[in-house]
Amino acid sequence: MKRMVDFVQKHPAVWPVLGCLIFLAMIGGLTGSLDPTVLFTAARLATFAALLGLAQMIVVTSGDGAIDLSQVYVLTLCAYASTTLMDVNPILGFVVAVLIGGLAGLVNGLVNIYLRIPAMVTTLATGYLYFTVILIGSSHMKVLPHPEFVNLITGGVGPISTQTIVVIGVALLLALVLYRTPYGKQLHAVGQNRNAAYLAGIPTNRVVIVAFVVGGLLSGLAGVIAAAVMGGAFQDMGMSYFLPSVAATFVGGTAASGGRSSVLGVAFGALMMTLMSSFLNTAESMFDLVSGIKQLIMGAFLVSILFVSVAGVKRRRSQAGSATTPAVMASNEGL
Amino acid sequence: MEASAAPATSTESGLTGAAAPLLALRDIDKTFGITHALSRASLTIAPGEVVGLVGPNGAGKSTLIKTITGVLEPTAGTIVVNGRDVQQISHREVAELGISCAYQDLSLCTNLAIYENFALLNMDHKLWAPVGWRKRQRTEVSALLERFFPGNSIDASQPVSTLTLAERQMVEICKALMKEDLGLLILDEPTSALSANRADQLHDAVREISQAGVAVIYISHKLDEIQKVCDRIVLLKNGSNAGEYNPRDISAADLVGIMGGDARVRERHDSFSAEVGPALVVAKSLSSEGLSDVNVTAHAGEIVGVAGLVGSGQTTLLKAIFAAGKRRRPGLQVNGKVAYLSGDRAGEGVFGLWSILDNMLVSSLRSVTRFGLLDQSASRQLAQHWFDRLRFRAESVDSPITSLSGGNQQKALIARGLASGADILLLNDPTAGVDIETKQDIYALLAGAKEAGKAVVLHSTEDSEMEICDRVYVMREGCVTAELAGAEVTVQNVVRASFSDVDRVTGREKSSTPLLGRVLRSRLLLPIAAMVIIYALNAIVNPNVLSLGSTRLLLNTAVPLVFAALGQMFIVTAGDIDMGNGYSIGLANVLVAVVLSQNLVVGIVSLLLLVAGYAAMGALIHLRQLPAIVVTLGAQFIWLGIALIIAPVPGGMSPKWLGRFYTSSFLFVPMPALLCIVAAAVTWFIIFRWKYGMVLRGIGNNRNAIERSGWSYVGGKMANYALAGVMVAFAGLTFTAVTYAADVNTSATFCMLSIATVIVGGCEMAGGVVEPVGVVAAGVAMSLITSLLIFIQVDSNLQVAVTGMIIILVLAARMLTNKKAVVAA
Repeated sequence: MKRMVDFVQKHPAVWPVLGCLIFLAMIGGLTGSLDPTVLFTAARLATFAALLGLAQMIVVTSGDGAIDLSQVYVLTLCAYASTTLMDVNPILGFVVAVLIGGLAGLVNGLVNIYLRIPAMVTTLATGYLYFTVILIGSSHMKVLPHPEFVNLITGGVGPISTQTIVVIGVALLLALVLYRTPYGKQLHAVGQNRNAAYLAGIPTNRVVIVAFVVGGLLSGLAGVIAAAVMGGAFQDMGMSYFLPSVAATFVGGTAASGGRSSVLGVAFGALMMTLMSSFLNTAESMFDLVSGIKQLIMGAFLVSILFVSVAGVKRRRSQAGSATTPAVMASNEGL
Repeated sequence: MEASAAPATSTESGLTGAAAPLLALRDIDKTFGITHALSRASLTIAPGEVVGLVGPNGAGKSTLIKTITGVLEPTAGTIVVNGRDVQQISHREVAELGISCAYQDLSLCTNLAIYENFALLNMDHKLWAPVGWRKRQRTEVSALLERFFPGNSIDASQPVSTLTLAERQMVEICKALMKEDLGLLILDEPTSALSANRADQLHDAVREISQAGVAVIYISHKLDEIQKVCDRIVLLKNGSNAGEYNPRDISAADLVGIMGGDARVRERHDSFSAEVGPALVVAKSLSSEGLSDVNVTAHAGEIVGVAGLVGSGQTTLLKAIFAAGKRRRPGLQVNGKVAYLSGDRAGEGVFGLWSILDNMLVSSLRSVTRFGLLDQSASRQLAQHWFDRLRFRAESVDSPITSLSGGNQQKALIARGLASGADILLLNDPTAGVDIETKQDIYALLAGAKEAGKAVVLHSTEDSEMEICDRVYVMREGCVTAELAGAEVTVQNVVRASFSDVDRVTGREKSSTPLLGRVLRSRLLLPIAAMVIIYALNAIVNPNVLSLGSTRLLLNTAVPLVFAALGQMFIVTAGDIDMGNGYSIGLANVLVAVVLSQNLVVGIVSLLLLVAGYAAMGALIHLRQLPAIVVTLGAQFIWLGIALIIAPVPGGMSPKWLGRFYTSSFLFVPMPALLCIVAAAVTWFIIFRWKYGMVLRGIGNNRNAIERSGWSYVGGKMANYALAGVMVAFAGLTFTAVTYAADVNTSATFCMLSIATVIVGGCEMAGGVVEPVGVVAAGVAMSLITSLLIFIQVDSNLQVAVTGMIIILVLAARMLTNKKAVVAA
């Protein structure tokens, strides 16, 4: 029993994987057959929640209560950039559109670190700024995506969508960076204890800023794909992904206090949110459910899975207290 | 204040022998694991007596005080309270004896006014107090401060955060002095920040209360003060008594001699023959905050000690050297790679989620990287090398670091420093809480590092450890007062130099700030100015705005935002954030338009249930230590779901009475304007005038201070959330009055907008510092922007842009006027 508890604590991905299986079985139970296309469709629909969730995970893992509220605006901004720029040159346009996401992340990181404004407030403010750019610029931009890119991204290999392949690729790359490179180790160290990381010789500022940049790049990628999949860019396109992506981040085992991440967990967390949604949709159409039950179950399920899975990671308050920046740290003595 | 009248059953009488002892501790032992903090320590205190408690670092003074204040239970020994034997000093004895302690770490809520900090402690826990209690408290506190520290310029109505360190210390002392039925006062280093003049005033106060029969325990490293103020000196050393003296019979020099004498002299590892290498650390006339004119060098191949009383600037010096290793700074030259190893393992050393391997290698990742990737086998090999060499008591390098004892964790940290290939090792009290055997291992490691040609700089709070050093700098109040080398490095010399006199700190006490400065620094200035300016701009563009009818139209849409922002503010007060209030307001909107409009009672009950839901959310967040941001995000699905069940499609209607009420006027003031004013006044009252408002703000600032004064933390948190729920209900109510219908989705934008409003309104996201009037003004301002943009025929979409720009401008402005505020956030 204790070994099981240890295993679950070490591998937070267990919860979302389990959740995916349960929802798959329940959908099977409802429809009476286990149709594999359900899984492939859900995986395709989970693309944006997965990409944004992974982006959020990296930012949250940098610790200090960081969270990126500007994600959905970055997504929309990059979607517009891609439709406009890919019209000129598909490949260059794609690259530049994604890089714009990285640039937005860089701005977030710089403001957060050098103006010492908490990440949440920073990204709230910059999110408004990016949205402004969208509002002003959208009337001058092309809206329709590049047709060949649309064909590519909505196609697939057999039953597996190109989008799913992209997500898997991104997840593998991210897992490599987070768990097999010095940067990954440093990010997790900074997230656990910024003070200790600074004193261990880690360039904490740079590590945090890079986390924001990577987060921005992934949001940008999500935006470019979203524009192609949805047949064009529009002003509110990102809004509906905010909730599922944040939910995926935390259900997937990311510690809100930072320092612990799980690429596998977040990817499956996104899939689980999508499967839950399609299960409830199926149930709704079959049993003529009262509308709203769907959201209620979703909310209750989300809170209870947090209740179960976050247990054992109790460090948030003390972290907030010791979040002194290196510059003022030296003067802590002598009181 | 009666001297204890308890029957003197005890035959023991203190050295003074004058009165029956108030409190007697005999042969007290206290062990923490393998550390003996106290061994057979005794202390007897009679009423009206002033006992000076002195001893070198680690003598056990703090442990003894914690035993007296009931924080710790002794492992063995007897405690006699008023002639009665007790196991441990409990709340009952603390109350009976009237024990009060001025803590060195200042147990104050910095966001509360000075008199509120007193009130938290000495007022009952009823929610209401008779009118005028604030004024009474303020006068009492001012009188108290004036009585003990005449001529101070402390304004008791100002928040503690505006005080200098010296002033805070005076407040802390007065807080301890104020206790009703004071019988025993404990002052722990009370003058560390005070000027000589203020210290004299304190000594007068001590004499005065002791004449009234109050016993005082006075702990200080300043021996001249001890001699001046105490009737009796109790000397502690290594957790045991080292004699009691009459201050008139013994000189400071003698005391120092006794403190440093017969220390456990450790075998020196080898003589200081080793030829030293080049200087790796050179500090020349280094001055900074906490350091003044420090000259220090450390060469390759030597161990340099930094000694002195705790908090004399040793840590500041080490951290300055570490920082200089990363970035050059004038006055401090560092040649080589630096590693910093802290004895504060939990706060500054260990990464608790990781294994021993990861903890050891985090500073040397580059050396185990091949082609940009971490080489697993190389990592394992390197970690195993140090694991074997340092003889860990653990299963393997993969065991979690938290499974190790403190001493073994410290060894892992030292291994981290050594593995990183650093040329300079800085150790800050590395043997704190480490058992003797492991200490010997650590000394051996340091000796090894020295032989390998590294410069080792060691700060320790254990003076005897200085004997492993080749040279020792002794610090006192930020200055280096002595340099000892070779045979001079003895505990006696270190202790003597530690207690040497330096010029007293001149306690800074600022003069009162002029009115203009106060206005400029007020958190209210920005939001109110923004509101007035935007209203004026509206009027310039469209003069009709000045009529009452137009003002009503403008304010109509502002009121729901004002309430949304006030709800957000209450959650920010607790140090959290509500990401789900967009939909909870939507739910309230639905409850009003669908339920309340049909049946008043059911409607009100349903809104109260929503409030209860908020309180429950607060409790859940506290009890499971869940991050508020995630729980409130999850909760919004629940609000949305309930709302959709009640009203699947937009519909319902605004209750007739609500519409009539909202469009009415009172003394020509349109109802929306009146609502804003009332909302501002009521929330201002709750936050700043209601007695429980102190707790509401306190829990977001200093949880310990709230709990130490006996208030419930979870109660305060739930109250904040419940009040947020009430504001959400009002937001839903007024939103219905504006939209005449229910649609759960239209209110979703309130979430981000309310956060922005709270920031513009002058609140700190870190909690505890809020400004209800500012929030209301900011809410009105935000809402007026929309109409302004419509008047000047700009795309209304631009409102978002303006909101973003305002947040950034506000934060930038706050950076300029008050840098601290932003840093604290």
